[in-house]
Order: sequence, then structure tokens, then C-alpha cells
Amino acid sequence: MSVLIDIILAILAIYLALQSLLAPRLSQSVFLFFAFGLALALAWIRLGAVDVAITEAAIAAGFLGALFLDALRDFSVSDTEKQENTKADQSLVSAKNTNSPWLPRLALGLGLGLFLLISLEAVWEIPSGGGLTELAEAMLPASGVEHPVTAVLLNYRAYDTWLEIGVILMGLLAIFAVGGRELYRKPVMAVQDPLLRQVILFFTPVLFLFGAFLLYVGKTGPGGAFQAAVLWGAIGILLHLGGWPVFAVIPRWLRQLLLTAGLGFFLLLGFLFIAGGNALFEYPPAYAGFLILIVETLAAISIAAALTAIFANLNQMKETPNETETTT
Amino acid sequence: MNAFFIIVIIFLLFNIALGLYRVWRGPTVADRLLTTQLFGTTGIAILIVLAGYLKELTLLNVAVTFNVLAVLLVICLVQVWKKKKGEAQ
Repeated sequence: MSVLIDIILAILAIYLALQSLLAPRLSQSVFLFFAFGLALALAWIRLGAVDVAITEAAIAAGFLGALFLDALRDFSVSDTEKQENTKADQSLVSAKNTNSPWLPRLALGLGLGLFLLISLEAVWEIPSGGGLTELAEAMLPASGVEHPVTAVLLNYRAYDTWLEIGVILMGLLAIFAVGGRELYRKPVMAVQDPLLRQVILFFTPVLFLFGAFLLYVGKTGPGGAFQAAVLWGAIGILLHLGGWPVFAVIPRWLRQLLLTAGLGFFLLLGFLFIAGGNALFEYPPAYAGFLILIVETLAAISIAAALTAIFANLNQMKETPNETETTT
Repeated sequence: MNAFFIIVIIFLLFNIALGLYRVWRGPTVADRLLTTQLFGTTGIAILIVLAGYLKELTLLNVAVTFNVLAVLLVICLVQVWKKKKGEAQ
């Protein structure tokens, strides 16, 4: 009977994925993508991966939502010109498509086909006995945490997680390099609307508390640094939208410290372990739980700061081209 | 009891499927955003029912995550609109 739920979810997820790619208008695509994120989160729960479901919920509903809505503004210059613009864009795109040579299409098709074959090959044979699950659970007492996913992320495969934090920082650096840095200091007017002000002020502590809860609960159950980071990043985004660009007004050294604390502490810890004669990220079992909590907290702060900075930069970067367009 | 949970979940999933019509049709961005908020609420309902069905209370964390982040989209849209109006004037 519960197979019925899975079938409906699968159909819904695939349909939404296709429609969010194929929808004729940009706003349709964006909102269909949010619905797709919801379907995906539910699908992850049916697959038993609650950690992934929380991450999907936090990123698809929160961070990506804010980024997409912000990008949507960029594509719709004003309400009246909007439809003509999209129509003109569409005809332009379709004209381009018909003229495009067949070679890139063939290459893309072949590449995607190959990728599909490789991924099919990878999942064709499900390893009997659940793969590495037994090994991961057997080592759990030595890992310092009680939840296998957190143990894998921050102990067994800490190197991957460390690089993931670096990838987010790299994304921010790329945005800085494209030219967001001076624009970033631009003063923003604080919100006058009392309702909006109250909503933002009410949700800031709620987001902070729930993020801290997710961070701490990661030790024993689904949750952890990345989920907490998105929630804390949402605080920064909310405050930025409300006209309190907290991240722009704090001194530069503090900003740099916040952004690099997670990556830096992780690296320092790794070097200290090497100096102590262990392998990189080989926690001494006695302190593992405590160290993992510190690493997770700092990583969450860094990722939250990076997400806030990414949103703030992208949000303000667009204002200058628009202004120059209207003045010329 | 399990059959009841499953029927409720399927009913809620069909609700989402029907709501897609408004996303598809909805003349303005605000209509589509409200539908997405409806999806979020329906998703939370599904999660709570699933938590009862699977006897797994951690699913409530997912529900709360959806819940607290839903406000971000609304505020983002409101602020984006305000700026757009300012540019148009």
C-alpha cells in the first residue's frame, strides 16, 4: 500500500524536474523548481535519508529560493515590459538554436549518454550486506558521535567535508573577483515598514535557535553543520533584506576571520594531528566528540557567513547596471 | 491505522499536484509564490503524517526547517518588489 505513495512521489518528482526545465516562462520554472525541491525532500525521507532531506529542505526552500527570486528580478525589468521582453528573448533564443551547428549538440548528447551509462553501471549492482554500513557502525564508539552520517562526514571522511567548506569559500571568492567588493559597502536604507521589521526581528532568534539545535542534534541524529549553516545564513539574508547589512558593516578583519574560521581551524587541527604522529584528521578517540563539535560550529559559522556574503553581493551587484541603464 | 495514514498522505500529495495548476497559470509572481507557500504547508503536513506513519520523530525537524525558512521567500519577494517599484518611478 505504501508503494502507492512512492509511485506518486516518483511521478511528481520526475514531472516537476522536466517541467521546471521546459516551462516557457522563467517565473514558472523557478517556482516549479521549489515544488521539485519539496518532492525531492519527501523522496529522500521515503529512502530513509533524513539528513539529506533536511539539507534539501534548507537549501531548496531557503537559500536557493532567495537567490532565484533575486535573479528573477533581474530578468523582469518592469511589469509592463516584462512580457514583451520574455517573448523577444524567446524568439532570440529559438533563432539561435535553429542556427546552432549540430556538433555541440552531438557532443552534449554523447557526453550525457555516457554519463548516464556510467551512473547506471555504478548503481546496477547494489552491494549485498549494505556496503560499508556495517563497518561504519562498528567504528561508531571510537568516532566520538552517535549518528553514523555525522561520523562519516566529520570523522571517517573529514577530508571531503573540509574541501566542501573550501568549495563554498571558493564560490564567494569568484563572486568577489567578478567585482562585488566595492559595491558591497553600499549603504542600504533600513526598512520603514513596521510589520516587515517585526517579522524579521522575530525570525532572527528563531532561526538562530533552531540552527543551533540542528547543529547539536547532529551528534545523535539527523542534522549537522551544513543544515545549521543554511539556517544561520538565512538570518544574514533576512537582516540584509531588512536593510541591516550586518556583514558589510563589521570590520574587515572580523569578516575575513568569520569566513575562514571553519576552513582554517579544520586545517590547523589536521596539521596538529600530523605533528602528533597521527594521520591527517585522525581524532584521538577521547576528545573526538568535543573536537567534532567545535569543528562543526566553526564550519557552520563560516558557511553561514559565506552564504550571506554571496547573497548580499549578488543582490547589490545588479543594482549598478540597472541604474546606469536608466540614466543613459 | 496505517491505511488511514497512507490515504491522508496520498490525498495531500494530490493537493500538491492540483496546486501545480496555479503555478502554471498564475498571472503574477505573487500568485506563484503563494502556491509555493501552500506546497510548503502541505509538505509540512505530509511530513507530520509521515512521522506518525514511520514512527520517526526526527522527521519533525525537517518539517520545522521548511517552516522557519518559508518566511525567507516571502520577505525576499516583498523586498524585490519594493525595489522594482522604486526603479520604475
